[in-house]
Amino acid sequence: MGLRLKIEGSETINLPETSIVQVKFGADIPHDSNARSTDLGSTILITGKILTAVDGEAADDTSKIARWSLVPAENSDCYRKVQIDVVNASQIVRQISIPNAFVVDYEEDFTDETGAGVFTLLIKQKKDKMANLKFEGGFSGE
Amino acid sequence: MGFRLKVEGPSTIELGTTIVTGVKFRTDIPHDSNARSTDMGSTVTITGKILTAVDGDPFDSTRQLGLWALVPAEKSDCYRKVSVEVIAASQVVRKYTYPNAFVVDYKEDYGDVEGVGSFTLTIKQKKDKMAQVAVEGGYSVS
Repeated sequence: MGLRLKIEGSETINLPETSIVQVKFGADIPHDSNARSTDLGSTILITGKILTAVDGEAADDTSKIARWSLVPAENSDCYRKVQIDVVNASQIVRQISIPNAFVVDYEEDFTDETGAGVFTLLIKQKKDKMANLKFEGGFSGE
Repeated sequence: MGFRLKVEGPSTIELGTTIVTGVKFRTDIPHDSNARSTDMGSTVTITGKILTAVDGDPFDSTRQLGLWALVPAEKSDCYRKVSVEVIAASQVVRKYTYPNAFVVDYKEDYGDVEGVGSFTLTIKQKKDKMAQVAVEGGYSVS
């Protein structure tokens, strides 16, 4: 499966299928509710590789994600538009748009045994804007 | 991947690629927030080897890290400037700079089966000085 990540805000971050390893989408609803709860949220976990540029090509955009995770809440730039595409056999299996996403966790991991680092990004949609989250898919693309 | 750690305080501690084996960078934000929280911190965990000097080489400065971990909070010396570089293929993939870092955890581990010890250092940036944290990367090693 090819996974693509696009983040739009004060700058654009593009990470293609060579970088993104895993995407986990979750709808957060209280498990102890007796009837449908209005307390609805959405969390997305994205895992990918931090690649080193070779042959003079430009560095990947992962360092921009690290800087996004450090944007203080006072700055409107902490909310960005995130789009995730799950592409398989020329079909867009899922296209998830999170228009007001903010970072709740970010981690980078490097060891001397691997040639590439690993990043883990956990984002949420702003809870009062949950209606704007788009969950599409099942159409041809490419 | 290679790592370089530099701690600047009353004395400078420099640990190079032969010593540092792993770096983990993390942005700490409360996971249960409904919108972007102002409660943000940043943590770096560094793991490495404690080498024994042979052939009259000078001892590595890992002992200085242990001494830093023991500096009481009353002394200004407990805050030091830390920079960590992640280097691969002549590129600086990341450079983290924490101008007011303090130690939250320090561990040294020795066993009778290994020839070297290992250390784990966890540092945080002083939380009210988060704006000074810098994440750079994607340029050639000068």
